[in-house]
This record gives sequence, C-alpha cells and structure tokens, in this order.
Amino acid sequence: MSMPVSAAALLPARQTRTLLIKWTVALLVPLIVFTFIWSGEAIVNTTLLGIISPASSNYDTPTLIQLSLFILLFYAAAIAFAAYLIAVDTGRRGMLEVWLDVLIFAVIPLFLVMTLGLIIGLALSALIWGIYFYVRNLVRKMAHITPPPPLQNLAVLNAEQRAALKRRAVEGGFWFATVFAVLWLVVDLIFFFSGTLPVILLIWVALRTILLPVAGYFLGRLSGTIALRRALPAKGGKSGENGADGSDSTISKRELEVLSTTRAREEAKDLVPNDLPLRSAGAQRFFMVLLVVFLLFYPVLDPILFGSGTNGRLAGYGDAGFYVILALGLNIVVGFAGLLDLGYVAFFAIGAYVWGMVGSTQLNYVFNIPFNATLMSWLFWPFLIVAALIAALWGVLLGAPTLRLRGDYLAIVTLGFGEIVPVVFLEMDKYTNGANGIVGVQSPSFPGVIWSLITPIPYYYLILVLIGLTILANIRLRDSRLGRAWIAIREDEIAAASSGVNLVRTKLFAFASGAFFSGIAGMYHAAKLGGVSPDNFSFGDSVIYLAMVVIGGIGNIPGVIVGALVVYSINEFILAQLDTLAADPTNFMHTVLVAITHVFPAFTFGNIRNLVFGIILIVIMIFRPEGLIPSARRRRELRHGNDEEVEVGSLDVPPGTPAFESEVHVE
Amino acid sequence: MTLFVQELVVGLATGAIYALIALGYTMVYGIIELINFAHGDIFMMGTLFCISIMNLMGVTTTSHPTGWALISIMLVSCLGGMLGCAILGVVIERIAYRPLRNAPRLAPLISAIGVSLVLENVGLLWKGINYVSFPQIFPQVYYYIGPISITSVNILVIVISLILMVALQWMVSSTRIGRAMRAVAQDREAAALMGVNVDRIIAITFFIGAALAGAAGFIYGLQYGSTIFYIGFQLGLIAFTAAVLGGIGNLVGAMLGGVLIGVISALASLIPDSNNGGFGLPHGGAAWTEAIIFAILILILVFRPSGLLGQQTPEKV
Repeated sequence: MSMPVSAAALLPARQTRTLLIKWTVALLVPLIVFTFIWSGEAIVNTTLLGIISPASSNYDTPTLIQLSLFILLFYAAAIAFAAYLIAVDTGRRGMLEVWLDVLIFAVIPLFLVMTLGLIIGLALSALIWGIYFYVRNLVRKMAHITPPPPLQNLAVLNAEQRAALKRRAVEGGFWFATVFAVLWLVVDLIFFFSGTLPVILLIWVALRTILLPVAGYFLGRLSGTIALRRALPAKGGKSGENGADGSDSTISKRELEVLSTTRAREEAKDLVPNDLPLRSAGAQRFFMVLLVVFLLFYPVLDPILFGSGTNGRLAGYGDAGFYVILALGLNIVVGFAGLLDLGYVAFFAIGAYVWGMVGSTQLNYVFNIPFNATLMSWLFWPFLIVAALIAALWGVLLGAPTLRLRGDYLAIVTLGFGEIVPVVFLEMDKYTNGANGIVGVQSPSFPGVIWSLITPIPYYYLILVLIGLTILANIRLRDSRLGRAWIAIREDEIAAASSGVNLVRTKLFAFASGAFFSGIAGMYHAAKLGGVSPDNFSFGDSVIYLAMVVIGGIGNIPGVIVGALVVYSINEFILAQLDTLAADPTNFMHTVLVAITHVFPAFTFGNIRNLVFGIILIVIMIFRPEGLIPSARRRRELRHGNDEEVEVGSLDVPPGTPAFESEVHVE
Repeated sequence: MTLFVQELVVGLATGAIYALIALGYTMVYGIIELINFAHGDIFMMGTLFCISIMNLMGVTTTSHPTGWALISIMLVSCLGGMLGCAILGVVIERIAYRPLRNAPRLAPLISAIGVSLVLENVGLLWKGINYVSFPQIFPQVYYYIGPISITSVNILVIVISLILMVALQWMVSSTRIGRAMRAVAQDREAAALMGVNVDRIIAITFFIGAALAGAAGFIYGLQYGSTIFYIGFQLGLIAFTAAVLGGIGNLVGAMLGGVLIGVISALASLIPDSNNGGFGLPHGGAAWTEAIIFAILILILVFRPSGLLGQQTPEKV
C-alpha cells in the first residue's frame, strides 16, 4: 500500500492517521510482547511494590532505583521513538512491509530470547534474519519489485512544513502513548479482576493512564525537534550556485543528484523526511539509547527477565567483553592498517602477565617487593595504563622487524612471535612460574564495592566501561590523520609513501595501538580469572581473534563488535551448550550424538570447534569477504562497485543547459 | 665432538623430512604467491592415510613383514599416501583457493587458515585425540661409523628424500610440464598467452606438492613412530621457515633450507640447561627449539628476505 505522497505537501489528516496506525501497531506489538508476555510488567510491578512497601520486597534500595530508572528511560525512549518515526516517515513504504519487518526483527527475537536464553535466542534470530533477507531478495527479484530510489523523495522543508512535521510528531507521541495506556489499563483491569493484581497498584494504574498521554505529548515534541535537526536545510546547507535557479529546494537536491547512487543512498539515510525511517541515522540513535539502557541496567534486570543463574550469565558476559576489546584492538592492526597479525595473542599474554607478576605474590619472587593485597587492588587502575603501555612497547619491538615485509611474510613473522612469546613465558619460570602459572592474582578495588573472583557484577560494569572507552578511542583514531594514514597504507603503500605518509611511524603506531588495547584486555582477564598460565595463550586464540575481525567486518567498528560476540558465542556457548544438551539422554541431541559417534568415535561438539570456524572462514572469504557488517568503503572495494547502477538519466542531457554543468562536478 | 656429529646425522634425517614439506610450500608460493597454511596439515593427513592403508593391508604395529612383502607394503602405503594427499591438495585448491585467485591478498590467506583448521579437525575426528602409532615395519638396524650411530631408518629417510628431490628437479627442468610450471611462476598472464592452461598447471603444482608432503608423512611415520592431529601445524611452520631460509620459490633452496633447519634444530638440543648453572637457556635448548627456529625465520626475513638462494626482487609499483 504505497501512496504518492510528496513530503513537500502538508499531510492531510487522513494520511497522518494512516501513518499513525502503521507505526503504532508496528511499535506496540513488540512493546506489548515485552511488557505483558515477557517480564516488563513484572519489572514495573515489583519496583512499585518495593517502593510502596519496602519491608516486604526482596530488593534493596539501589536495585529499586536502578529498576525505576530503567522503566522511565525505556518507556520514554519507546514513546519518543514512535513519535519520531511517525514524524519522519513519508509513507511511501507500505504498512505490511513495515509490520513484517518488525515481526521478523523484533517480535520473533523477543520470543526466542524469552524461551531460549539470550545467546541462543539471538543466534537463532540471526539465522532467521539471514533466511528472511535471502527470501525477501528472491521474492523481490521474482516479482520485479524494486524499491523506489531515495532521491525522489528528498525535498527541503519550508517553515510551514516543518511545523506540520512537528505537529505530526506531537500527535504521534500523544496517540501512541494513549493507545498504550489504554491497553495497559485494560490488561491491568483483567489482572485485577482475576485477583492477581494487588489493590494498592490500582492507584498507580489510574495515575499511569493519565500520565502516559501527557508524557507522550512532551516526548512527541522532543522527537519533533530531533527529527527536524536532520532535515535538509532550507538555505545553503550545501553550497549552491548563485541565482542559477529560483527555488532553493532544487539546488540542494541537485547537489545530491550529482552524487553517485550509492553515495546518495548513504546520504539519504540520514535525512528527513525518509522512506525507510527504521534505517535512518536518527532511528539508530534511538536504538543506541535502548541498547545502552539495557546494558547499563542488565544486572538488575536479569533475575526478572531470565530467572535464576544470573551470576553465571554475568560472568560469561564479562568474558565476552574482553574478546570485544581484543577484536577492536586487532581491528586497528588488520582492519585499519591492513597488517595481517597472526600473533596477537602475544600482546594479550604480555598484558596478562604484567598484572600477574605485579598483582600477586609473584611480586615478591621477582622484584623482592613485599606484596600487599589491598594496596595492589588500588594500584590496578594505574597499572591498566602501565600494562597497556608495556604491551604497546612490545608491539613496537615486535613490529619493527616486520616493517619491510609484505602481507604473507608479515603474517608468518607475527605468527612466529605469537608462538615465541608464550614459550618464553613458559620457560622463564624463575619469573613467571612456568607451566604452573601464577595464581592468586588480585582483583581491583573500588570505593563501596565488594570485588572478588566470585562477584561478577563489578567486572561486568568494568568491562562495559572499558569497552566504551575502547570504542571511543577507536572512533577517534579512525577519524584522525593517523587513521587516514593507516587506511592509506592499507590500500597502497607506495602511493601512501609518495603522498608523504611516514610508513615506519604509521605502521609502528598501528602495532602499538593494537597492542595497547590487548594489554588492557590482558589485565582484565588476569584479574577476572585470578590467575595466568601459558596454556591460555596459543596460536588457536590468535586465529579466533582474527576470525572475530574477519567475520564481523574488517575495519568496521560495529561489525567487529558483532563479530566478537558471534565468535565468542560459537566458541563458548553454542558448542558447549550442545554438548550439555547431548549429554542428557532424554534429549533429541543425544540420539544425534550417538549416531555420529558410531562413525567418528572422537566426536564431541566441543571438538569440532575448529572445523566450524574453518568452514565459516572459508565460506565468508569466498562469498562475503567484507564480513557480516561491512564498512561502506570495504564493500565498495571488495565488490568492485558492481552494485553501482548506471544513471541513465544523466546521459541524455544536452550541453549548454544548467543540468549539464552539474555532471561536470566530481564528487 | 662426537655428540656434535651425532646430532648432525640426526639432523640430516629430520631435515630431509622438512625439505620435502618445504618443497610443497615453495612450489605453491612460486606459482600463485600464496603461503599455503594448510600444507602442514596435508602432511599430517598423509601420515593418517599411510596408517589407514597399512591397516587395510593388515599391517599393525606388531607385524614384521620381511622381504618382498615388506617392500610391497612400503611401496603401496607410500604411494597410496602420496596419491591421497595429492588428491586432497587438488580438491583444496579447487574449493578454497581458486575462487579467490583475483581477490586481495588477505582473502586467500585467511581461507588457507580456514582450510588448515578444517583439516586439523578432520584429523582429530578421524583418528581421535591421542597419539596414533605408526607401524614401524622397517627393521631398525644400527650402523656404526666409529662412535657415531646411524639407523637404517635414517638412511631410508635420506634415500627416499633424495630420490624424490632429484625426480622433482628433473621434472621441473626437463619436461614440458615443468617448463609450463616455471612459466606460470614467472608470469601467469604471459604463460596463458603462450597457450599454457594455467588452471591445470596450478592444479598439477598442488598435486605434486601435496604428493611430496604425503611422502614426507610416510617417512615421518617410519622415523618417529607416531602421529597426532596437530603435528601438521608445528612441522608446517618449521618447513615454511626452511623454505624461506632457502629462498622461497627456489626448489634447491627449499631442499637446502630443510636440511639446514633440521641440522640447526638438532644442534639446538645441545644447548645446556641454564637452570643447572652456567651458560645456556632455562630448561635447555630442547625446549627452546621452536623459538630458536622462529627467531631464525625473523632474522632471515629482516636481513635477507630473499633467502640464501633467492634473488632480490624489488617491489614493483
């Protein structure tokens, strides 16, 4: 159901209503699934009961504060998001399409995660998404449906249209919140009459039904402002020709038309009004907010959402976290600078051993300094930087011999270092306690927090902070002169050198930066595990880190994070889970395992880890070398730009007309 | 002194095995400029193939065939192993490397790592996680030249390697296919223009290289008596060092490098244990062999990347 709506016109009430229906349904369904079918309602009710009668609640004050914050932020973000989408959408994409998308991308994953747990639920969802993309492309090709080019719909909004947009946002927020409030009221009344809702909460229900629409109104205004920030500017946002054309709107639009289709598509994603508002940059901001809210408050949400076993899950996520940091660090070396490093585990080991030797009684053996546990816990923080710097120094030292080498040799040499360093740690047992490893490594300290090997929550927050800082640092590095120099040497060293890039310095900096982050990860790992041993560091680990970067998307920061989580899940969770499932004789997997072990007696799901990774690597290299989430530049490189369509329109413009001149502008 | 010469002899035998594997590396690199990470694992599969073939023929670790039976068993298992590896090599090339022939350098390298992982795991699934014993069918006789002892197995290893190396050298220098291989290694497009079927030649190169690895697997099994799924990685890296030492792309260099590395690793075990006081390395040179070999690799690549017998080729724009 597509309407020939041009955003330049004021939307009459009928079309606003259609948009309202479309997005309200689209966003309400996942919200309802979360709140009523999953545990959203439980979160709200437990928080309130805790606030109203603290004596009878199991939760202490800090937890309650966190829960309330979560509820406020989550639902406010949801309503604001709805308002934003209603404001921004041009209505060109049909309702059913959007509803199908939301079903596949939000509702089904919610159900899967609810029933199967976070990791396996997400893994299955990813599989379903893959299938969905494939099927959708097939259907589109067969039915010859092509999505309309985004440029047709871009227009500059004058003041009247801007007001209309804002009004739409406010209306959207208000009505969405109202519908949601009414629905919630109905559900709560049903619960009340069936006796499961305490009377006390009835007051809250009434309050909420009034508050939500009001909140919706104000959040709608907020979203309207956010949406308008991304609209094409009325005057000269991009420099236009003077007086070449009367209307302002055509100038900026023509500038966009000069861009190639792929670039225009990328630019159009950001602008308002938008054909695909769910994919726009503004919507991504909302997704970020929701994600951050979930991550921040996850430890208190987990017991309510997933039941028992929180500590184990949090410990697992803490472990996944340092893989993310390692992947980000390796991304600098392999992704940005294009230096294939197969020995990355060496720097990780160095970071771990630094804390291992300083943060435990080994300090006594090696340096003859008496070991004071409490003091060392506090020194963890400055030592993070120290270990990272030491690792960076070794990055420079180990990178120096490789400066003149080309890709393959570089890989082998770094692989060699990745082998030598653990051997050194193993054999120099006067300092490193050799094969027995170092035990009793200290956890860090923070005022007011009990921190030890058995408390996963502080480690969880620590790794979140570290990951946040690492991402920030990576983004700044990538966008700096150094980052651009890295990309230059990745593409063509000789050209880069001729353009004035100091090859030696740039490469050494790449190694040093990569090693810096792995040093941090190493320290975290040593502290969390409480010990270091040379078996933790082997070439197999280096391959896993490389797999994270490659599978996720070389050179792309969000891609690498996703790759790290995917690889970690396969490595630690999925195969181990399959093993535990298969060990249970009542399970279907058991029969599968028995059947396979008839042919291959040595088969366990844990054993075939390398097989799985190897096949994934080969398949990805052949079919999708840019990784799961490619950076735009990479995708253009590796696909040789065969996604570019020829702009037929520009071929038949006669010279001498103003439109002809625009073709001469090079992007 | 006798210890030195003794180690030298042992090193020669080990080096012969390294040389055969190194030949595979250097041939593939010469022709498609790809370091075949999976080559070491092809060697490992070769050992497993030989064991399986011998088991099929009824030979176990306790049987001691003699005379014609011995010779025929050895021939069959050696050739069978070589054939199996050769086919494996061709299949790998077809599946994992050919689609990536024109891709940027990173792609086939990572694909090779993937193949290596797959092969390792296949070896694990096939023969289990423990050491698999190789039937020591060749009678172990000690010959003495003065105080130095050399076993018949060592001699056999050296002899087989020599035969294969000479055969390879003859093939490359005197036959049409050899000429075609040299042409493709020198300039792939020009060779295609001259009527050489490049795809077929590359497949043949993989075939021969893998066959040599299979032979190496056979004699490795005879010499050391057992195999396990992860030896491919270790030996592969050492053999690659040998190839680089001799000059990658150069056949004689690979042979020379292999022998040199074998000798060096044997001599490294002579380094005393510094934990016992005095000069040496902690836990003695034997524990550091790997590190020493990699150190050599790094030194060569830094100071003389073209290897001992290679030519310095400047990097073209």
